Amino acid sequence: MVAPSATLSTLNRADGSASYQCPSTGSNILGSVNAPVELPGRRDALKPEDATIEVFVKPGTAPAGVGERYVEGIIKTLLGRVILGREKGYPRRGVVITLAVIGGESVGRGDPYLVLLPALLHTALLALLSASVPLSMTFSATVLAVDASGQIRREPSAEDAATAQSVHVLAFSSKGHLLLNESQGSFDFDTWEKVRQRASAICHGTQLVSADGDVAMVEDVDGRPLEGTLRETVEDQVYRDYNWKINAA
Amino acid sequence: MSSPLVLLPGDEVPSEYLPASSSAPLRLGAGLRLLSQPHPTTTSSSSTQAPSHVLTATQAGILSTDTKRNALSILSFPHRRYIPTANDLVIAQIHHSSPDYFHCMITPQAPHAVLGQLSFEGATKKTRPMLKQGDLVYARVLSIGLGAGAEVELACVNPATGRAEPGGLGPLNGGMVFDISTGMASRLMRASSSTGEQQDGVAGLVVLDELGKKLEKAGGFEIAIGRNGKVWVDCSNSGDVAVKATVAIGRCLTTIDEHDLNPADQKKLVSRVLRELKIEV
Repeated sequence: MVAPSATLSTLNRADGSASYQCPSTGSNILGSVNAPVELPGRRDALKPEDATIEVFVKPGTAPAGVGERYVEGIIKTLLGRVILGREKGYPRRGVVITLAVIGGESVGRGDPYLVLLPALLHTALLALLSASVPLSMTFSATVLAVDASGQIRREPSAEDAATAQSVHVLAFSSKGHLLLNESQGSFDFDTWEKVRQRASAICHGTQLVSADGDVAMVEDVDGRPLEGTLRETVEDQVYRDYNWKINAA
Repeated sequence: MSSPLVLLPGDEVPSEYLPASSSAPLRLGAGLRLLSQPHPTTTSSSSTQAPSHVLTATQAGILSTDTKRNALSILSFPHRRYIPTANDLVIAQIHHSSPDYFHCMITPQAPHAVLGQLSFEGATKKTRPMLKQGDLVYARVLSIGLGAGAEVELACVNPATGRAEPGGLGPLNGGMVFDISTGMASRLMRASSSTGEQQDGVAGLVVLDELGKKLEKAGGFEIAIGRNGKVWVDCSNSGDVAVKATVAIGRCLTTIDEHDLNPADQKKLVSRVLRELKIEV
């Protein structure tokens, strides 16, 4: 399994930005975060003590449509649970996240974005970290497709997802909570439980079942846990930015 | 010193990284918060215990400890947006003026901060500075207000003494402003405020010393650094090379910020920029 590659702080003008290469679809996602900013006409928001989160998903070649609005809603709900909108400077201000999908297999108009959703979520997280927006925890997400024979396939391509029996996107927080579950297609509960265990193993590298030989095998298949990859990306950038401090010490 | 500890949001600060002295209270800086955890035990005997506290990070960055002030904070990415904090020195631009206040911009797309018409050194109703739209002031953040949507207040004078403390607060006339990252701004602040001569500069910056040496003959320069990622440079003493020298200083600072140069490269850059602009040193 090819690990995703990401870079932080790629844009000069944005407060925070990240670029993320999704290995399965070949899409490159560019995310930018501006926070905290004044939003016009939002002074009487429903939650005046909290920050307003705005997410925009821009497909590379077409104007944004229904599918983008839908996935924006999903991302916004998830990020709303992670961003600490009551920290100093954030109440009544906006956190504006823009995610542009560049290249790769284009998503058809109105298609759900499930295949791209983990990449969008990771890009948003990295861009938020790069903008130093206060977060309660980090998360990692993955997409799994179940085909007719019950085989679980990790990070399917768009064609695989179209022929699959069901597609699931799961996100886990760094503390192991299940943050997001988006499923599409027909499946039963046993299948979902298997999917959840596999997704947890992909994100955290450990399974909830008692440690035996099985766990080690699963880890071999999935390579390094996603959480570790994300953490390493952030650490690399921190070391690069604070080179002067680390060398001096 | 051991290798620096990088924390991500949600990570707990390991107890061995906390400053050892327990006499002074621990001060938490940016990017950290205190969480109370109820005890996970079920027995009734432990319910009388106080809940345990953990320090967790809310931003990604290096954990920095200051043993002298007994303080902890997270050094986060340098390109973040500036969030006003009391007592920070900032360079603000006047947006418009109202009877009592000047309304100033500290960062773009943020609400205006207010600066009292009389909060300048020696200002009375007759002698207050008449600032126009677009003028610059070097000011201190006086208060950031309480609660959501409160206004940030600036002042160019210490309200207790009536003097511009620290020196240099007030309108900035002439010169030019360059944008740098907030991380670079705080590094420059540390580099220029420290008096002790060090071999390789403070915070890895030798550019100001180097520029000062090279431009001494041309008449030197004035510099003001705002925590909001602005730096103001004025070379009006330098005569006919004033504009060139201003551009050279700005170019050096923004290039070092962009490419994160080490002290040796900073010296090379200064020589190269001065040569390119044909400033004689």
